Amino acid sequence: MTTHVLKIVITGGYATGKTQFVRSISDIEPVSTEQVLTATTERALKHETTVAMDFGSIAINDQITLHLFGTPGHERFDFMREHLLVGCLGYVVLVDSCRPAHLPQTQHLLFRSMELTEAPFVVAANRQDDPTALPLNYIRRRLGLPFNVPLVPCVATDRTTVRGVLLTLLKHIAARLTLHS
Amino acid sequence: MALEGNLQNMALSDLIQVFHTDAKTGILFLKGTHERGVIYVADGRLIDAVVVRGKERTIVATRDEAVLQMLTWEQADFIFRYEPTVRKRPIRIVHSGQCLILEGMRRHADPVRTLSYYNITPETILHLAALPRNVRSGVRLSIDQWRILSWIASGQNVHTICQATGLDVPAVTRLVVELMAIGLVEIAPCLSAATEPAYRDCTMIASAAPVYAHDVPYINKNSRSFSNVCGTMRQVCSEIDLLDVITRCINQL
Ligand SMILES: Nc1nc2c(ncn2[C@@H]2O[C@H](COP(=O)(O)OP(=O)(O)OP(=O)(O)O)[C@@H](O)[C@H]2O)c(=O)[nH]1
Ligand SMILES: [Mg+2]
Repeated sequence: MTTHVLKIVITGGYATGKTQFVRSISDIEPVSTEQVLTATTERALKHETTVAMDFGSIAINDQITLHLFGTPGHERFDFMREHLLVGCLGYVVLVDSCRPAHLPQTQHLLFRSMELTEAPFVVAANRQDDPTALPLNYIRRRLGLPFNVPLVPCVATDRTTVRGVLLTLLKHIAARLTLHS
Repeated sequence: MALEGNLQNMALSDLIQVFHTDAKTGILFLKGTHERGVIYVADGRLIDAVVVRGKERTIVATRDEAVLQMLTWEQADFIFRYEPTVRKRPIRIVHSGQCLILEGMRRHADPVRTLSYYNITPETILHLAALPRNVRSGVRLSIDQWRILSWIASGQNVHTICQATGLDVPAVTRLVVELMAIGLVEIAPCLSAATEPAYRDCTMIASAAPVYAHDVPYINKNSRSFSNVCGTMRQVCSEIDLLDVITRCINQL
């Protein structure tokens, strides 16, 4: 039987929730490459970081499987993100809605990713479960995102919203395919 | 759980705008070089504020004046915490956030510095911001602000506005920043939408064994073109109707 494997990449800045995103939706126990952080400033946010990738998988049916690759967020592993992005069908860029300081870094990451691949992407504003989270219109404005790039609310710890983000990405890919057929 | 940063990453005027449009409730703590400030926010409205100095926490300013002073700070770490009990506090601030922002901008020697992350150049194209429905504004604009606003309505860049109004670039930039600070004006998106790739030719992986795009020896690292990647892919994979596969994913995820 033919198996169709679709490669989706989950990227974003440091500690934006990429590993959690993959963990929430994968139907296999995700393979993660977490390593303990040593620098105190970094440890203020979290204790472990992804050093190579997260890998998760979603079986759509017996013939189609989505493979999710979470990239590392740390700048020193940028090469890994760039490697993972090549050849993907589409990607999700996660942004932390509670850390405005990370917005310029995310904008840079968006530019860099668009240089590497023309694959369609959506931006997911994570941590929207926090009542102090920045609203989507502010995030869109700060990232300079045009309206044809979907920006969706996300709570990486909540499977339903993670599924919503992936659906938006798949619909975005389908719309592009339709446009060109 | 809190919104955290420094005024250099997000100006107080932006914070006040966000509180207002998103009807936030909580307490904003600011830690400046010599002074500290607190602003209480209930359902988007600024209700009380104080600025203190030194270890003794000598009160320097309260209410509207405290907010105006904080609006002139360029550097301060901030943290905004959700706190529903703020709603029970008495309202001691008289003016709206927008009025305070405009007055704070007038007092600032160089308000452009407060929104430096927006990087306004003569080529920057501006447009009117979409105002949320709940916005009620009591602000009074100056003649020059109105003149600038009328040009922005037609989507001009800073350079053209200078030519049309006879004002120089620093003057127009300052007026634009004032209008941005109260949420009336925005910079047009700088990130150009991904140029439409030739998805028509995209055929994704279809093979007996799972193959990841990056495992296949076709990858031409110099090529960002999705259709090129997919074209080479066809040499190693049998063809499938990608749109059909994606549609099935959407229906069954
Ligand atoms: N409340 C809440 N917590 C979240 C959310 N997303 C992630 N977290 C938590 O934030 C922490 C960091 O998330 P990770 O998934 O490790 O972040 P990451 O992007 O993989 O981090 P790096 O690999 O170091 O770049 C974890 O404890 C998550 O459970 C969210 O939407 N809401
Ligand atoms: Mg991770």
